[in-house]
Amino acid sequence: MLATIALRVGRTVLSVVASAAVIVGLWYAFIKVFDLNSLVAKDPKAVWTYLFTAEKAPQSRKAILDGLWHTLGDAGIGYLAGTVAAIVVAVTFVLFRAVERALMPVAMMLRSVPLVAMIPVLTLVFGRGLTAVGVIAGIIVFFPSLVNLAFGLRSGPPAAADLVLAYGGGPATVLRKVALPSALPALFVSARIAVPGAVIGALLAEWLATGEGLGYYMQRAQQTFNYGGVWAAVVVITVASVALYAVVGFLEAIVLARYGPSAGRGR
Amino acid sequence: MTTGLDRRRFLRRGVGVSAGVTLLAAGGGGLLAACGSDSDGGDTSTSSSASASSSARSFGTLAVRLSWIKNVEFAGEYIADQRGYYKAAGFSGVNLIAGGAAATPQDTDVATGKAFIGISSPDITGNAITQGAPLKIIGAQYQKNPFAIMSLSKNAITSPEAMIGKKIGVQATNESVWSAFLTANKIDPSKITKVPVEFDPLPLTTGTVDGWFSFVTNEPNALRVKGFDVTTFLLADHNYPLVSETFMVTDESIAKNRDKVKAALTAEIRGWKDATADPALGAKLAATVYGKDLGLDEKEQVLESTDQNKLILNADTKKNGLFTVTDELVDENIATLKLAGVDITADKLFDLSIIRELYKEKPELV
Repeated sequence: MLATIALRVGRTVLSVVASAAVIVGLWYAFIKVFDLNSLVAKDPKAVWTYLFTAEKAPQSRKAILDGLWHTLGDAGIGYLAGTVAAIVVAVTFVLFRAVERALMPVAMMLRSVPLVAMIPVLTLVFGRGLTAVGVIAGIIVFFPSLVNLAFGLRSGPPAAADLVLAYGGGPATVLRKVALPSALPALFVSARIAVPGAVIGALLAEWLATGEGLGYYMQRAQQTFNYGGVWAAVVVITVASVALYAVVGFLEAIVLARYGPSAGRGR
Repeated sequence: MTTGLDRRRFLRRGVGVSAGVTLLAAGGGGLLAACGSDSDGGDTSTSSSASASSSARSFGTLAVRLSWIKNVEFAGEYIADQRGYYKAAGFSGVNLIAGGAAATPQDTDVATGKAFIGISSPDITGNAITQGAPLKIIGAQYQKNPFAIMSLSKNAITSPEAMIGKKIGVQATNESVWSAFLTANKIDPSKITKVPVEFDPLPLTTGTVDGWFSFVTNEPNALRVKGFDVTTFLLADHNYPLVSETFMVTDESIAKNRDKVKAALTAEIRGWKDATADPALGAKLAATVYGKDLGLDEKEQVLESTDQNKLILNADTKKNGLFTVTDELVDENIATLKLAGVDITADKLFDLSIIRELYKEKPELV
């Protein structure tokens, strides 16, 4: 089992390094190909200077890191809100088919109306505090998690469910013993989509609702010609997203090595 | 003869500046040069003689980057276009590029060569210059700052102190003005709840906020026409002297295309003279031609235009000509900007030599 974990973790680390290299390469290529003005389009070296070697670097770093912590907190709230809602709704769907038919169109609506367009309404209803952050970031997390979880909950082997029923268990026991464990891979797959989604949601909420964190910092930096700040913030939030993605992958490796479909095959 | 000397001096300075910028551009050298030739628009003969009449030459199409959507705020530009003032000044036409909440900041468009001249404000341009943008302010439409705090009259806010304990809606674009204004009036920002808003003043009417940061010309009149009773106070009346709707161009344009800059200003001056003489004219053009798709209310646009003219015309502009800025006002601006955290000297931010030269050459424009 250790070998399985090591293999999966190693693969994750490798993919992080590779994606960083690809991003930096694409970045330089993008500026070169589109012949962008260096006042606006900062290259990786300019961002490095902005964050580390420039005279004002310590202040710049502090502004961006303060924003980052705030944004990660907001993303965490959004992820929790969205995932808890998705789990509750998915379980309800599995237990009561009729509810799924009634509620799925509503969930689809949340997905198909652009969130930016809904935000003015959402802020009217939920205000501009943490509730709004939870709702806005949660909506982005909710839909992919719901679809994956509803599928995952149904993917348990029917024979196992039959066994539980034969021994006198009810639907709730089937859910606990068979459906939930078999939905774990789905939970992680959706986390891979939902965690970066929660970060986007948090940025959006900060930009249009709360006026704090990196989302607002980027907007403000752009308006004050602080393009170094814009690019540095984008880099920092991207690195944070990649790191979070890696952490999800790491947790997934550990959990799936124990519960996953290939759990027994690692040795 | 003196113009020739000036030209050379400016050319040298311009080259120095652009060389510096190119050095800054690690890995992207030559970008500025590329942009420069874009904005020239095929005009190659400018440097031949300064005294020849500008209408004999073609400067190509003039790209003007506006600071906002195409409402009556740009009455002078619409009139100059309609009455052929741009063409008379030597342009084949004009391209008025609209701004707005979601647009690229105007200083970016001018610094990167997407527009030749842009309308902005000293705080934005000052920030851009301190971040390395090679820009200068060459004139100002509004002598008095148009920013105001608007409130509903039944819950009126009439002074900076009255904002304490209230919720004020402030747009991200206006953040720097907001914080400078509070500093200028020695108000602790933590005592006011700042709410990030966009530009539709709906939250004020629903009571989400108590005060609204806006141009005194725009949102207050929009709400008045809808039947709301609103109160405003001008930042300019409370320790915030700062010109606005300023024209800016790149250092390179000042150095190499001085005649084109002058031609653009000539057309602008003629347009704005007409606009200030008749507020209804620009309002009609905004509502029926240039801002046709914006659903502007012509009556409201006339109100805006009238309010706007009060910001443009004062004793100094009547004497020295539109868009001029007196030395005292420049100093006041620099002091205000310092409060806003924009530490810049007058000669880094302003180059008013062109507009003064222009009025000396063509006194009939005053």
